[in-house]
Amino acid sequence: MLTIENLTTSFGSVIALDGISMSAQESKITTVIGANGAGKSTLLRTISGLESPTSGSITWEGQSIVGRKPEDIVRAGIAHVPEGHAVISELSVEENINMGSLFRRRTHKSDVAASLEEMYQLFPRLQERRKQLAGTLSGGERQMLAISRALVSRPRLLLLDEPSLGLAPLVVEQIIDCVNTLCRSTGLTVLLVEQNANTALGVADHGVLLALGKVVADRPAAELKADSTLRAAYLGY
Amino acid sequence: MDTFLAALFSGTSRGAIYALVALGLVIVWRGAGVVNFAQMGQAMFSTYIASTLIQNGNPYWVGFFVALFAGAALGALLDILVMRPLSNKKKTELLSSESMRAAIPVIASLGILGVLQALAGIIWAAEERGFPAPAAQEGFTVAGSVMPFTSFDVFVISIVLATLTMTTIFFKKTGVGLAMRATALNQEVARLSGIRTNFTRTLSWAISGAASSLAGLLITPTSNLSPNTLDLVLIIGFTAAVVGGLDSPAGAVLGGFILGLVISFVTFYLSPEDVFLSILAVLLIVLIVKPRGILGGKDSRRV
Repeated sequence: MLTIENLTTSFGSVIALDGISMSAQESKITTVIGANGAGKSTLLRTISGLESPTSGSITWEGQSIVGRKPEDIVRAGIAHVPEGHAVISELSVEENINMGSLFRRRTHKSDVAASLEEMYQLFPRLQERRKQLAGTLSGGERQMLAISRALVSRPRLLLLDEPSLGLAPLVVEQIIDCVNTLCRSTGLTVLLVEQNANTALGVADHGVLLALGKVVADRPAAELKADSTLRAAYLGY
Repeated sequence: MDTFLAALFSGTSRGAIYALVALGLVIVWRGAGVVNFAQMGQAMFSTYIASTLIQNGNPYWVGFFVALFAGAALGALLDILVMRPLSNKKKTELLSSESMRAAIPVIASLGILGVLQALAGIIWAAEERGFPAPAAQEGFTVAGSVMPFTSFDVFVISIVLATLTMTTIFFKKTGVGLAMRATALNQEVARLSGIRTNFTRTLSWAISGAASSLAGLLITPTSNLSPNTLDLVLIIGFTAAVVGGLDSPAGAVLGGFILGLVISFVTFYLSPEDVFLSILAVLLIVLIVKPRGILGGKDSRRV
């Protein structure tokens, strides 16, 4: 389980996260929603070690991970799929996936091969295009690739940043479904950041609403979805 | 016909060495995002180490391998002691412009070059000394006539081709090679994949250091050794890398052979004084026709 207490991250004089406290329950999907600039991406980037917080604590499986390097946090079981289909365009599809399991290639040799096959079963289109450069893929395929890269590190917590960004509704549905299935069947814990609040709340167990770096609401997803006052005030629909 | 063959052979042999220098530059450029002007300073330094060992009675090959190892160690050391602290300071607000920040390590590498040359002058004195070749430098004799091609040329070309093949396989087929390419292309995604990017960067510096030391060992038998002799080699090697496309190892090799041949043919058919003009001409023509170099990718930086 991931527990965050009083987390503050700032860039110069701009405070992006202002004393956030929340948690991600084991084997559940927790979604963090909010308008542009609410601090959602900064929250994930601080958890994965890409940004260092000015104060507060992040506890993962009983240990503090504040101040640890991103590469060590991945090895501790937290995989981050950053915003914007983060793949390396100049590498092939298969190289992009393999990149995520490089650090396990000696210790878990057979599992690394198995994890690659699993990704191909999960996203058959990636197998068809395995020799192609990632830069030639469509937006949806790139998102699938970024998720695969994260999954082959065998995470226990998956941080997903706006997987729906710039994708057609049908593709969004497919990707969200897939994450949902993974969580329910393998017990993976998911922290899903979304601007598309309706979709995210539809699949999540729990919802956290951020506004200007602060937690405004932290409730079961269904309850949050039904609250029209909050929705109108913070999400504008 | 004899002149043509002589120019062809000497150009190929020289070109192989320039290819090696260019490859060293490309590896650090791709692996760490730095154009390393100190590279031939490092090579000069490790060649001096080899020279001292050989002069003290050690076999050639002891000097050869110690120099390769010293080149790798020196490269790694420069990254750990100079480049890594510099890149950690990158985010200081004093230097907010992106191009200024990119310039810092390049300027640092020029500083390192100066320091290495001065140190070599202090330790080994600045006069030129010879450096032995591991193979005969007299031309082969075929049917009574001496060919313009020596066993040393064969040695140089084969060792360079072997190195190029090995680096290509290393980058394409091994996990560490993939980690190094990923680090060079997108450090953030690499780190999020669990790759220890500090380590892979240092490894780039070490491999490049060994490659340029090899170039130093192969070129000094024909050019002599002094703290500054390799400067010219660096300039030609850098031009070769730019001509081939700074981000492409294959391009670096191609560029090296092109420049080696151009320089050799100009020397044989025109005059040695026209060599610099011809290098400049090649550079200009390539940059006008293909600003990213012959094999440069579309995402590579324009020179």
